[in-house]
Amino acid sequence: MKPDDFEQKLQRQALRQIPAEWREEILKSANDAGTVRRVVRGRPRETSLPNWLSTSLWPHPKAWAGLAAVWVLILAVDFSNRDRSPVRAEKSTPPSPEVIVELKQQQRLLAELIGSRDARDADRSKQSIPRPRSEHAEILMV
Amino acid sequence: MRRGTDLERLYDEHAQSLYAYLLNFTRNEADTRDLLQDLFIKLARDPAWLAGIRDERAFLIRLAHNAAIDLMRRRHVRERMKENLAVEIISPFAPSGDLDEQAFRAALARALAELPPDQRTVVHLKLWERFTFEQIAEALGIPLNTAASRYRYGLDKLRERLRPLYEEIK
Repeated sequence: MKPDDFEQKLQRQALRQIPAEWREEILKSANDAGTVRRVVRGRPRETSLPNWLSTSLWPHPKAWAGLAAVWVLILAVDFSNRDRSPVRAEKSTPPSPEVIVELKQQQRLLAELIGSRDARDADRSKQSIPRPRSEHAEILMV
Repeated sequence: MRRGTDLERLYDEHAQSLYAYLLNFTRNEADTRDLLQDLFIKLARDPAWLAGIRDERAFLIRLAHNAAIDLMRRRHVRERMKENLAVEIISPFAPSGDLDEQAFRAALARALAELPPDQRTVVHLKLWERFTFEQIAEALGIPLNTAASRYRYGLDKLRERLRPLYEEIK
């Protein structure tokens, strides 16, 4: 679309010039702001615990705070459920003579049983004859 | 160093256009300076903004336009609170030694000031930046037809407003 005379007349009107002194001022402000930004970005990480924590937790502080709260709650519940009575090593009363006699009888019986089983095992090992492996497996299964 | 050089280049290539555009939009030199400075500070802080931008001028005009709209919104709120706020109105045109031209420029400045800002910005970009309607649409984030119609409405109003003076000095 070709501009008409009126448009051309408007186009010829010279616009106000930007004040020359602005160049230095604006560029200085901009460069200073850019330098500050770069310094902040380029600063080496401090290794103290608070700094480490703040940088680690920064992305999702609420989530980390929630997690910490849950842990505190769990610990609190755990402590409250613990048995508060001190554990005492109570002296056990000595068993009665009847109980001792009964225990000795049981021990003797057990010893006899074990002893007879050992004897049977020993006999079986003497009687066993070599067989194919497949039959060994069957015996084991039985 | 490279960053500083880039900023200087950007300033030398675009600051005049941005200044004229912002001055026509705000009609206030102090606001124009603040907006221009903020724009260059943002560019210095984040040079990646211009990465992959084909038309730097259109992009910068868009940034300036958005910043100016934000400022105007804030100003409207302030003005509602302080009704008697005195705002310095300044012409976007250079002074002329020719009296007829000076009168025409003054009348043109007033006529432009009476246009709604959305028409004024399109008229400015079309007439003094020589943007195409496609560029205007891209810079202002509006449909192409809207850019064309805003220009037509704005120009018709200027024509009507300036007709007597224009006929006289033509």
